[in-house]
Amino acid sequence: METVIFWILSAFAVAAALAVVFFKRAVNGVMSLLAFMFGMAGLYVLMGAQLVAFFQVIVYVGAVLVLFAFVVMLLNLKEFVRRLTSPADVRAAIPAVLLAVGIAALTWLALQDGAFAKAAVLQPVAGLRQIALDLFTRHLLVFELTSVILFVAAVGAIVISRKEGDRS
Amino acid sequence: MTLYHFVGLGMVLFTIGAAGFFIRNNAVVLLLCIEIMLNAVNLIFASFARFLYGTEGQIFIFIIMTIAAAEAAVGLGIIIALYRSHKTLDMSLIKDLKG
Repeated sequence: METVIFWILSAFAVAAALAVVFFKRAVNGVMSLLAFMFGMAGLYVLMGAQLVAFFQVIVYVGAVLVLFAFVVMLLNLKEFVRRLTSPADVRAAIPAVLLAVGIAALTWLALQDGAFAKAAVLQPVAGLRQIALDLFTRHLLVFELTSVILFVAAVGAIVISRKEGDRS
Repeated sequence: MTLYHFVGLGMVLFTIGAAGFFIRNNAVVLLLCIEIMLNAVNLIFASFARFLYGTEGQIFIFIIMTIAAAEAAVGLGIIIALYRSHKTLDMSLIKDLKG
């Protein structure tokens, strides 16, 4: 049963990711990424990481994708056409193919090692209490530093997107 | 359903994102492809947290999500500034840094 759900969800996620890459218009890409995020959230639930699935929906769908949709609508990008057939873009696909082959070869080599297969057995799910305790005790400094990063990024985004000479 | 399934799926998704980053010209779609790659890495972290017991994998995911949100905010700010100065988002037309 779990295996069937895994294959359905992964096919859904891969199809949505391909749609992001191959849709002509940016709005359709953003909407496909929305579907992709929900597929990933389903995979997290399947893995017993419900907390991560919640955050996936809240942070990515609720904040990041809304930001993307907002910018796409703000800039009114209607002149974009996929230019996959022009010579420059066919040449640009060469590093992409090389990268795909390289990643596939590396993953295959890594998984050949028997140590992975021995160590990789289904373990008990880390509960919410365990994660919270770890996050707020052992990893407290990292947690605080992420808030600093968010603050700096928010200020930086305002400074970058502001008009030149706009002092008010 | 084993660790191999999840790592393989993460690899496929990362490759799709990376390939999209190379073949697309629209700056917004490039950011979307970066999000796909980050999510693929998150999936692999989650699967290792599941199969090699530990909470660190999930904590890593929270931190990566935070970084992704910060990256999206700054990236979209850059896109708005780029659109204002060049009147286009086609990355093949923006060649200011080409030596």
